[in-house]
Amino acid sequence: MHPAPEQTEPPILVLATSSCAYIAADAVGQAHLEHPANTYVMRVPAPVVFPDSFYYDCFEKGFAGIIVMSCGHECPYPGAFERLTKRIDRVKMGLKERGLDPARLRLTAVCTVCTKAYLKEINAMDALVRAAASAAAVTADGGDAT
Amino acid sequence: MNAVHYDTLIIGGGIAGLQAALDLADQGREVLIVERQPSIGGAMIGLSKVFPTLDCSSCITTPKMAAAAHHHRITIFSYSEVEDLTPHEGGYTGTVRRKARFVDEAACIGCRQCEYACPCEVPDEFEGGLGARRAAYVPFGNAIPQVALIDMASCTLCGRCAQVCPKDCIVYDQQDELVPVDVAHVIVATGWQLTSAASKAEYGGAAIANVLSPLTMERLLAPHGPYGHVVRPADGKEPASIAWVQCAGSRDKSLGVPYCSRVCCMYAIKQAMLTSGSLPFADLTIYYMDIRAFGKGYEEFYRSAKAMGIEFVKAKVGRLEEAADRSVDVHIENINDRGQSEVRNHDMVVLSLGMAAVPDTRELLPLAIGDDGFIDVPHPKDAPCRTSLPHVCVAGTASAPMDIVDAIAEASAAAMEVCREGDRG
Amino acid sequence: MAEPTHEPQAKADEAQAEADETQAKPNEAQAEADEPRVGVYVCYCGGNISDVVDVEAVAAEAAKLPGVVTAKTNMFMCSDPGQQVIADDIAELGVNRVVVASCAPSLHQTTFQGVLERSGLNPYLYENANIREQVSWTHHDRAEATKKASALVSAAVAKASRLEPLEPVEIPAAPAVAVVGGGVAGLRAATDLAKAGLAVTLIEKELTLGGTVARLDNLFPYSEPAEDVLCRLCEEALADPRITVHTGTVVESVEGYVGAFTLHLEQQARGRTVEATPDADSREITSLDWRCEAFRGYGPGEAFADEPVAADDAARALSVPVGAIVAATGFDLYVPPEGEYGYGRLPQVITLLDFIEWLSKQPEGSVPTFNGQPVRAVGFIHCVGSRQVEGVHEPGPNGRINEHCSRVCCTATLHCACDLRDKFPDVVAYEFYQDIRAYGRGHEEHYDRASLANVIFLQYDGAQPPKVVAGEGDDHPVLVSCLDGLTWGEEVEVGVDLLVLAVGMVAADVGNLATSLKLPVSADGFLQEVHPKLRPVEQAVNGVLLAGTCQAPKDVTESCASASAAAAKAYGLLASGEVKLDPYVAHVDPELCEGHAACVEECPVDRAIAMEDYPDGSRKAMVNPAICTGCGACVAVCPTQAIDLSGWTLEAYEAMVDALLLSHSEVSAL
Repeated sequence: MHPAPEQTEPPILVLATSSCAYIAADAVGQAHLEHPANTYVMRVPAPVVFPDSFYYDCFEKGFAGIIVMSCGHECPYPGAFERLTKRIDRVKMGLKERGLDPARLRLTAVCTVCTKAYLKEINAMDALVRAAASAAAVTADGGDAT
Repeated sequence: MNAVHYDTLIIGGGIAGLQAALDLADQGREVLIVERQPSIGGAMIGLSKVFPTLDCSSCITTPKMAAAAHHHRITIFSYSEVEDLTPHEGGYTGTVRRKARFVDEAACIGCRQCEYACPCEVPDEFEGGLGARRAAYVPFGNAIPQVALIDMASCTLCGRCAQVCPKDCIVYDQQDELVPVDVAHVIVATGWQLTSAASKAEYGGAAIANVLSPLTMERLLAPHGPYGHVVRPADGKEPASIAWVQCAGSRDKSLGVPYCSRVCCMYAIKQAMLTSGSLPFADLTIYYMDIRAFGKGYEEFYRSAKAMGIEFVKAKVGRLEEAADRSVDVHIENINDRGQSEVRNHDMVVLSLGMAAVPDTRELLPLAIGDDGFIDVPHPKDAPCRTSLPHVCVAGTASAPMDIVDAIAEASAAAMEVCREGDRG
Repeated sequence: MAEPTHEPQAKADEAQAEADETQAKPNEAQAEADEPRVGVYVCYCGGNISDVVDVEAVAAEAAKLPGVVTAKTNMFMCSDPGQQVIADDIAELGVNRVVVASCAPSLHQTTFQGVLERSGLNPYLYENANIREQVSWTHHDRAEATKKASALVSAAVAKASRLEPLEPVEIPAAPAVAVVGGGVAGLRAATDLAKAGLAVTLIEKELTLGGTVARLDNLFPYSEPAEDVLCRLCEEALADPRITVHTGTVVESVEGYVGAFTLHLEQQARGRTVEATPDADSREITSLDWRCEAFRGYGPGEAFADEPVAADDAARALSVPVGAIVAATGFDLYVPPEGEYGYGRLPQVITLLDFIEWLSKQPEGSVPTFNGQPVRAVGFIHCVGSRQVEGVHEPGPNGRINEHCSRVCCTATLHCACDLRDKFPDVVAYEFYQDIRAYGRGHEEHYDRASLANVIFLQYDGAQPPKVVAGEGDDHPVLVSCLDGLTWGEEVEVGVDLLVLAVGMVAADVGNLATSLKLPVSADGFLQEVHPKLRPVEQAVNGVLLAGTCQAPKDVTESCASASAAAAKAYGLLASGEVKLDPYVAHVDPELCEGHAACVEECPVDRAIAMEDYPDGSRKAMVNPAICTGCGACVAVCPTQAIDLSGWTLEAYEAMVDALLLSHSEVSAL
């Protein structure tokens, strides 16, 4: 499984919780803090709703990185966060088995006012996927496909 | 005409009146809002952003306006005033004067053809006198009701609006309508007005073009304001330096306003922060006596402003004078610097005028009024919205200067006072 | 009024019956949903969006998407005419799914849902694309922002096409409210609710009512005795037949949900209970029985404080079923760490509350004394424990400093200094302050009064607070120095016999109420309201309202206003007899369900899903929508994708992912 090398703007999917991270994303906007535009936020009540296969499919279809911005321990749904963490651990192992850098899937907690944390996550993932994309491009240019 | 019956009459369609109306209507009571202006929304609809969240003011006011306008238990008489109120055992009977718009309100679709055809232009009050409006006009973009009216004082009766109106709803000889009402409860939510800039001769007596009222500054900062940009009124120049003069209409015995107007520190800081966004290279200075950033998140907001480079100078402004290039000389006594007298020059100055009471209700209801002009209540600590008159409550800035969040809390509190009385009208 | 009956099982059964109906509806509506006709509306937001995003281009691209029958723009979609555009399209073009690309959904989701509802369309057939906060306000390259906006719109269209009509979950609402906290805010909220006709249980952890106000002498700005205010409130509460009062009682845990909460309480042995009665006449309490002196609080406990605990007096547990909860748990006063301004080391350093009590006890006409020593000069320091500065002040037990302003202390301190000067004109008063925040009606007058009374003001900068040292062999036991802004930064030292710290308000530990309900907390530690401007008394947890200082520092007037506002909201929730909840719960498609029960195993919430027997002998999963929280954990584990989250289906998310990627990879024509 490889991200398409011609993607100079590797797309990042952000699964942001309605109670917490999505509001932080809005707060980032309200503060007019700029960040890269290749990020797509999907609002979700709780990311525990996505099965393992969803993540594999997203990478297969073309997302270069996925950030799961949960409420962490502030999660309003009892029991959801523990189930989420178990799944993400499992999927990361699965990504490794499929030849992908598990760092492309990131689980983090972002609260409603965590604009700094939000930006940090976005910028870090963006740097990661761009570096990977240019490395892949170099390899592709260099002839030997990885 | 038979009296129309409502459970509660709310005098004033600003944010306090709207919030009280929504709370009561959600509880099943029939509410009548009487608003003097041609649109509801009060002062809030004209602001750019609100402190400390920097929410777009329109964006948070329009849902309340729309919800009230669409609620099946809320009736709104806009461009109307309460003429008289007479108490009886179960409440009040009264008369509401629905002022003539010279437009059939029910038929008007707000298409603005009349406005486009009208040849008469006058300064736009909504835009603080900047920009123009026509004699036939819809008050502003998100006005509710979105219906036209004709300012007869500026109308030349040329007849063009009637010719172009697609629904034939111009009525040149429309009369005010007097509507009798009978209500069980009254909530006074008549709001506030700015303290007078004209009365302060030391600050130019409202005659210096580049010395602005704060509401005019709000329009300059608003995304859909008169110019879409902050420029100074005298010559359209983009100001390189702007100053705010705090306590320009408060804490000033010479003006007859000895009290603090509560919101001016915060709105000045807010305006300065917004200005630094739209004019990133401008020098922004706030001349203050005390910075009253007392509410939730306010101190943090103040600190952000300092971190953004806005200059706070503890100095009482003694005098403002117009310089030859139409900039403003600000004479201060700088407490931060050994009390030295200084003259500083700014391209534009905003006076942080205060909140004054609206005198109208005194003629309507024998409410107790304080020396400061605001409505007094018998138990200001434990029942701030309950007046001395049975069936009458007060909400928002009619009772004292306050910001939006306190006005909203008081509005719901006033609605609760109505519910306490138990009897439904 | 009798205690409302509450049978959890009956309720669940009722809700179950409703659930069956709700489950039938999506199938019924399937026919309706077969042909989605999506209307897309892209907002200029008065320039907020259009300044960066090419709104017309976004609409043009949207028009090409499958299922879209119209794509329009407007200067303000949320305005009346903007909303009318949608209403007209529903009526005239047969639009049956609506996408509005505008500001964040938190602002106008209900506005636009309202348009659908008024137009006869199910309000859940609406979807937002957030192209302001999450595009135009955060990306400044026009091409990039426009492309992203287009992608978000195409995802919203993909979701909208798959939306199905939903009906709110209706829960019978117990016409009863629990008010936690018996200070002024709790008392105010309790009497408001009782007068409006609801049953109220007032719960106070101390043995007496009155909270912090019970420790005050007279209240600014009109110097009204605290006792008068409290008496009014307490007498009303104790006389109202609908109010049950439990003192010496804390909340152990809370179960349930809005309309149907159960509070489990623990009352200590000395706690007293005043039961609700059918009418006012059968109420045993009279104000004379329970009245106490000023400063002693107000309530039954004090009257019995010295009596031995009776043999039959014991701690007990009780449970109270209610429809809503008003949190009126008050605040704590900042306790300075030892050494701050000499607190805890110099006996003459006390808090403002200590000072109020001390002053009230000093006999008039003689020289006031403290610990036997004459008091000739008193210093007051403002902002102790408030407006703290990183690196200058020690973090508190929670590891944070208090940046917030405590709002009431400036006026309270001025008021105290004036009272001191009035009572003892020979005693000098110094006030060390940063800003005088006498903001409220009648407050500035105290600053004036203080100046006329010759209170001496010294202004310090927050980063360099006053220094306090013992006066070794000096005229005065305490010496306070600061760089005084009013004398151009000169170092000024004064000697005082009493140093009063105006300690701030900090968030109180709300205990099990907060932990049971997972009540969110703001950055300053106080309970977090839903929206700081628009919704100051509402909480994210539905059915919990905030009254008084648990939400932020306030004076008595503001606390009572917020308490009445909280009562108004609680009453509004319960007045109609039913609470309506969002239908965002899980639902099972019985045709796909094969009875694996993986959902039941995964579900974290007791009784939210159960296996039910079907007439054909199969066992299939069934969701209880009144209990299901809508987390979706079940959705992720079902092997046949038979269970999904109403309004947020996995199927829709998968389609959104496809739409985003398709849009992203397209060579931009914009």
